[in-house]
Amino acid sequence: MQLTEDPLGTLLRAANAGDGRSYARFLHAVTPIVRGIVRARGRSLPPDQHEDIVQDVLLGLHLKRHTWDSAQPVRPWIYAITRHKVIDAFRKRGAGIQLPIEDFSEILAADPEADPLAARDDRREVDRLIAQLDPRSAEVIRALTLRDESQVAVGERLNLSPVNLRVTLHRAMKRLATLGRKDVP
Amino acid sequence: MTTTDDLITRLAAEPPAQTMRSNRMVLIIVASIVAPVVVFLFTLGTRPNLALAWTNPMVPFKTALPLATCLLAMSVLLRLARPEARVGQAALGFIALAVVALTLWTATFAMRPPETRFAEVGAFSLSECLGLIVALAIIPTIATLRVLRQGASTSPTLSGALAGLTAASGVAVGYSMFCTRDNPLFFVTWYGVAILFVTLVSAVVGRRVLNW
Repeated sequence: MQLTEDPLGTLLRAANAGDGRSYARFLHAVTPIVRGIVRARGRSLPPDQHEDIVQDVLLGLHLKRHTWDSAQPVRPWIYAITRHKVIDAFRKRGAGIQLPIEDFSEILAADPEADPLAARDDRREVDRLIAQLDPRSAEVIRALTLRDESQVAVGERLNLSPVNLRVTLHRAMKRLATLGRKDVP
Repeated sequence: MTTTDDLITRLAAEPPAQTMRSNRMVLIIVASIVAPVVVFLFTLGTRPNLALAWTNPMVPFKTALPLATCLLAMSVLLRLARPEARVGQAALGFIALAVVALTLWTATFAMRPPETRFAEVGAFSLSECLGLIVALAIIPTIATLRVLRQGASTSPTLSGALAGLTAASGVAVGYSMFCTRDNPLFFVTWYGVAILFVTLVSAVVGRRVLNW
């Protein structure tokens, strides 16, 4: 056992007890650690995807935060989740066909962080992109980003908890970004 | 960078999660094993003269081996529900159980006259043994996999396999009180086949449903 309490452990313990501010501090403190691991392991991936993976890991930590046994040190738990999500992310991306990026440098969107819907003014184009998602994600996107409905109303209508709704939105946006990039002619 | 900060702000606004309690998981898993077994034994009854049968030194193995397997598998399963856990020393336990089962099998094979070795094997006895163990294991396997989804296993296939192993060996304990075939060549082989079948199916399912 440790002699001094790990500050990350203190923060996560407070977070799991309901302290949202400690939780934000925990996530902010963990982010550079995760970023470091992703960068160290992710040399084979373009750096613009690293931040996506970092966010996947943060989501993983969030969705599984109840699995930390507060009697145990927190870092092995963080590293285990990070490793799992990073490997998972690489497997998913590795499964795609790898093409030399130079061939596409002129047609690829310059800023991968940009709102995937922003570049597409044409409403029909947007609809076509959204239609490629599964129906629930598509509805979440349409309701929240195109029709500006409130999260509460959408959550109730689709029978999604607030966490689930936000995670669905986040993932759907990311998938849209990929689709948008992929399908520029 | 800002999107990551946004994400953190959104995540921090979520209500806190209830911590995972292993006791509750054990309770659900055990109940899902015991319930179908109790219904089964109450409907069809235990074998006649159960107590008398246990005076045969081979018979307790029929219950004890699956029971030990079930307990070991459940303890490993619960540990692996936390992401940082490793199987570690527990692997030795499984090896020890396999050695006991194989020793029992070979010793019986050597001691029995050839014509009695596989006398119990028949279409009816096999379908009864395999069919009942597999059928009884369905509910506990599903329940155990469901409970495990709350956890965060970093080896979903292994956790899935352990879920099937726990469920099938658990119901085999109950089934052994009904089954009248006391030849270790029969029960080690066919209980084993039924348990391994459930374990394999559960591993395949676990690979999909326990990933996160």
